[in-house]
Amino acid sequence: MAYVATRGGEKAIDQAERLFRQDLGAIDAERVAAIRKSMPYLIDRVMGEASLYDEELAALALAQTGGELSEAVLVLRAWRTTQPRIAIAAPVQQADLLTQRRISAAFKDIPGGQILGPTLDYSHRVLATDVLEGTPFSPPEVEAADRPAPARQPALADWQRRQGLVAPATESDVAAEDIPDLTREPLLFPASRAHRLQSLARAETGGVLALGYAAMRGYGNAHPTVNELRLAEAEVVVRHPRGTSFSAGRVRVSQAEVTSKEKGGYLELGFAATFGWNEVKVIAAATLDLNSAEAPVGSAVHEEFYLYHTESVEASGFCIHFKLPHYVTFQSVLDAMRDAKAKQATASAAPAEILQTEPAE
Amino acid sequence: MFNESTGGGPDHAAILNVLARARPDGLKALAEAVLDGLGDIEVVTNRTGLVMVPLRDTVANVDFHLGEVLVSEAHITDGGGHVGYGMVTGRDLERAMAMAVIDLSIAANGAHAAVTTFIDSERAYLTAEDDMRMRQVEATRVEMETF
Repeated sequence: MAYVATRGGEKAIDQAERLFRQDLGAIDAERVAAIRKSMPYLIDRVMGEASLYDEELAALALAQTGGELSEAVLVLRAWRTTQPRIAIAAPVQQADLLTQRRISAAFKDIPGGQILGPTLDYSHRVLATDVLEGTPFSPPEVEAADRPAPARQPALADWQRRQGLVAPATESDVAAEDIPDLTREPLLFPASRAHRLQSLARAETGGVLALGYAAMRGYGNAHPTVNELRLAEAEVVVRHPRGTSFSAGRVRVSQAEVTSKEKGGYLELGFAATFGWNEVKVIAAATLDLNSAEAPVGSAVHEEFYLYHTESVEASGFCIHFKLPHYVTFQSVLDAMRDAKAKQATASAAPAEILQTEPAE
Repeated sequence: MFNESTGGGPDHAAILNVLARARPDGLKALAEAVLDGLGDIEVVTNRTGLVMVPLRDTVANVDFHLGEVLVSEAHITDGGGHVGYGMVTGRDLERAMAMAVIDLSIAANGAHAAVTTFIDSERAYLTAEDDMRMRQVEATRVEMETF
């Protein structure tokens, strides 16, 4: 591959960045705080895809990129690399989650019951245009129940195992330090389950949805039903120097299990989880996980296909790199095209001469 | 790593849980107040960094990395070899240091009245917050019926 040096563009590049930032205007702590407060689900999406949980930094990334999601994720992932890893928390277990939404579409009467939590699933999607006419929208307050919901809900899969509906699973005995980590080692195929689930956790939401939707519409071998969906908060349990385990705070997480059909006497299950509350992503990702086992190589539900193509920073980086100068490589295309046209012109000119000369003969 | 003894015991864990989520203004004010009762303090660490959070997959019981959480950490010691430690989610070194100072104060001098009052007050506040949230959540419980 050849390279071409370009010059003379430094001022234009500088002015282009200035124009981008001028359009966004001044950014201050107040603006960042407003984004953080008013757009928690957008913040969640950015944190999940960036693999970095910090609401303030996610809001800052959105502010300085004007809401360009792939740019926001990119700057957060880049910033992440500047920070030392202090510790690995104790593994979060489903039964320990402070659960605020938990539904099942496969089982009606699940232990602990079904709790809708915060959702627009059953609402009219009406744009509040009155706000633009000067009538602020003030949401009515929730009529709180007399007693609180249980803070912890049992894992549905455990209940299903006890009934012989789901295959037994051996207890994980991998030390936290030995869990495979995509941020420190390459993704190789076939991927370990830990790599697959970590990759899906940080995958681009739209990409996961597109490929998961393809599987749902029939391009995969398994149609999903939501076995259990949770929106919850998880404790970040770390270790004090004296050995005490304690929670340094909570983070929002989403989890989904989807199920399809019986296989070998058990229900098949797919699983996914991510930072933040983003249930579309975890349902779609769990569908991809469910379809992985029997996926044909090269299909959209084959893990190599969906893990590579939903890695947002690499995908967007590859896409936007096509804007960069390709003059040398494209020159060969032009040369080939001009050569072909010249040959075509020569070939078409020759019969014409013959036609012209024929009457004379 | 997390199957070892609980070190300072359940009381220590409960105190740290409250301090890590305590409201910043009161936390910092208490730290300022107890600082006078401590001797020379050596700061071992005061930094931001990341904590990787694994999560257990419910299908195959595999632990995998969900992602990293930004935390602030403070680790201090006094001349008597007592340790104070604070770690809080987010980018707030002052809050982490305030937690570490209070933790050190408890390790060196015991939990005197001001500390106990603050921890009890914050525990009550946090419990009330959780209680209200979970009562709102309970209001969304649905009984499914099929016909």
